[in-house]
Amino acid sequence: MGALLNLNHPAHYISWHFFQMSVPNAVVIVLMLVVFCAALYLRAPGARKQRGPK
Amino acid sequence: MSSWTAKLREAGVSALPPEKLLPDSQPAYMTSAIYLFGALTIGALVTIIASGSILALKGPTWWHVQSIGHFFNSIHLWSVELFFFFMVVHLWGKFWMAAWRGGRARVWMTGAVTFLVAVPCAFTGYISQQNFDSQWIATQGKDGMNSLGVGSFFNVLNFGQMYSYHILLLPLVVVGLVSLHVLLVRRHGIVPPLPFSDAATAAPKP
Repeated sequence: MGALLNLNHPAHYISWHFFQMSVPNAVVIVLMLVVFCAALYLRAPGARKQRGPK
Repeated sequence: MSSWTAKLREAGVSALPPEKLLPDSQPAYMTSAIYLFGALTIGALVTIIASGSILALKGPTWWHVQSIGHFFNSIHLWSVELFFFFMVVHLWGKFWMAAWRGGRARVWMTGAVTFLVAVPCAFTGYISQQNFDSQWIATQGKDGMNSLGVGSFFNVLNFGQMYSYHILLLPLVVVGLVSLHVLLVRRHGIVPPLPFSDAATAAPKP
């Protein structure tokens, strides 16, 4: 990651009225939301084989 | 039955018979990927404990002076990042399916308390780094602890105390709570999805 992006500087911040958050933290939260929404629609790998009683 | 060992065994087998403790099948609704995140969180926790044990054996300054130490420190850091990432997605999933239903209140509570204990467990790690970052965090944390009136009990400027909390006391609590959480899940079973509401299942009006 360090080779792709220059991380050797203080983080940039998002500011809106009283709200303040670093860009890395905002990126992680957005990623969590994306993974959460995707997990609701995706099947677990190998789920068909392990299916048990309803 | 007189001995306490026999009573304990009977109570254990009654609460968690072997087929419940180690089941060989799960309900069909567990095919959704949202049910993976509890196991992923445990996988990250195992990686944290394993990498942290190696770091503890070599001492808190090892990662500053050897590249292999830096490697294990990075494994430790990123497994913590994944631990919280997976735990938050697991928490959201369980919250929106109201996972405390069906007598599962203790399952929910042990999970919630684990999250609350894991936070200071990670914070004490940040102040055990032995660098300027940890010094900055410790001086900021000191004011926070004093404002809560607990500064004399949790002195974040005392490296030895914080290191003990980080590598022994708080991990013991986290692992103990996670073990209890998993045993309670085994006992009560995985929470089923919420039923469709009458409005959603009713035939459309002509």
